[in-house]
Amino acid sequence: MATQSLRTEVVIGKRASRSAGEEPRAPREPIFQLEGVTVAYADKAAVRDVSFDIGMNEITALIGPSGCGKSTLIRCLNRMNDLIPTARVDGQVLYHGQDLYGPEVDAVEVRKLIGMVFQKPNPFPKSIYDNIAFGPRVLGMKGSMDEIVEGALLRAAVWDEAKDRLKSNAFGMSGGQQQRLCIARALAVEPDVILMDEPCSALDPISTGKIEELMLQLREEYSIVIVTHNMQQAARVSDRTAFFTVDPDDRVGHLVEYDDTETVFTNPADPRTEAYVTGKVG
Amino acid sequence: MTTRSHFQQELEGLERSALGGLDLVTQALDRSLETVANQDIELASMVIADDDRIDGRYLEVHQGILSLLALQAPVAGDLRLVAALLHVIKHVERMGDQCVNMAKLVPLDGHEPPAEPRMLDLIQRMGDQARQQVIQCGQAFERRDVDMAQDLVRQDDVIDLLNREVFHHALELGDEPDRREWAMHMMLVGRCIERIGDNAVDIGEQTAFVVTGLFREFEDASHPVAAPPTA
Repeated sequence: MATQSLRTEVVIGKRASRSAGEEPRAPREPIFQLEGVTVAYADKAAVRDVSFDIGMNEITALIGPSGCGKSTLIRCLNRMNDLIPTARVDGQVLYHGQDLYGPEVDAVEVRKLIGMVFQKPNPFPKSIYDNIAFGPRVLGMKGSMDEIVEGALLRAAVWDEAKDRLKSNAFGMSGGQQQRLCIARALAVEPDVILMDEPCSALDPISTGKIEELMLQLREEYSIVIVTHNMQQAARVSDRTAFFTVDPDDRVGHLVEYDDTETVFTNPADPRTEAYVTGKVG
Repeated sequence: MTTRSHFQQELEGLERSALGGLDLVTQALDRSLETVANQDIELASMVIADDDRIDGRYLEVHQGILSLLALQAPVAGDLRLVAALLHVIKHVERMGDQCVNMAKLVPLDGHEPPAEPRMLDLIQRMGDQARQQVIQCGQAFERRDVDMAQDLVRQDDVIDLLNREVFHHALELGDEPDRREWAMHMMLVGRCIERIGDNAVDIGEQTAFVVTGLFREFEDASHPVAAPPTA
């Protein structure tokens, strides 16, 4: 190739194509804009001064070692930290440009629009049907409940496995099915955003694969933020990745790098990100 | 705390094996040049047989890289290193083949070819230069030294100039059939050495890729003014 020239110029990692000091490209359109967000529990900060935009119809992965504040941060995005008496959120979280913590904002409405799926599947001790119908009933949603239930189960890719046992107890489902049921439950109330906190860590690889496939389908209609310890999962499914770490001096988490997932996993800008994704530090 | 130390050891071992392949190339090149200088047909057959060692090294590193990709899922700098090593070992294998090509040309002229000192001197100078480049490309890779890798382009220009001299000198060697045939074989030898120099530059490009994340040819005839990548 030195003299027998192939006409090749391949850039691995988009950072390399940017000039020094240039900012990463902005998300397509931000759904969340975090500005100087600090979350503290009983005056002890868990995560400090986080500022970044989360894109609409994108999958954004939050990665980092234990205690870096990524779960704390994702809980800020639907005001779940409100449920913890000692929690305090400083800075600004804008959702579609509106202050999520503004005095006029109804936290219940926020949690309807911004659903959450947890690490461990947590179906209600009810039938599959009632698990899905619960939220729409509470919210007084109009339309045929059967259609709402079917639509949610279809979108969560669990309809085929659930359609013949809708009246059966949800606990009879496998772990992977239960997790997809929980995703269906979140979808049933017609959310805008789905937050996922380690959604696959209790699942086997096949169930994990199904959830990941589902996430990629859901991205067309929803914005997804996922916290994961599985870096390969972040690499496989997310459009953008935010890497958090914890300050060794005061044990407070902070954002180190936020960029296209491809860049983070091929050519990260910060040596701390490089050390974490390559497994050189734990 | 350092984690994945087993993986890091495997990766370092693969790099040592791949760069160690360049030592095998240096030995093969030395022997090939000696074969040409002395018209040593026996040595030529040894060079050809010994290429199995370089091919074996290629297979070993190639398999090691496949295993690392399948089992360890390297990312970021580790991924760039693995990808670069795959190129490096391929270039090593090609350089070994060029040494074989040189060795195969020698018996074609018989035991007492009409060897001519100036032509042999030009070939030897090309070979010395290529040898220097093979060593330098390995050192640059090992040290992740982009400047040293970039310097291979300047070094390679020396080979290219000598190669042109070989061509012109072959024309001057006259029309006598045996002499002309020998001169043409020496042109082919020159071509083999010139390719080894190119492979060394290619390995230099891989050094820059590992360090910067950007693959760009140091010299590109279709983009002659392209700037080299910087760290």
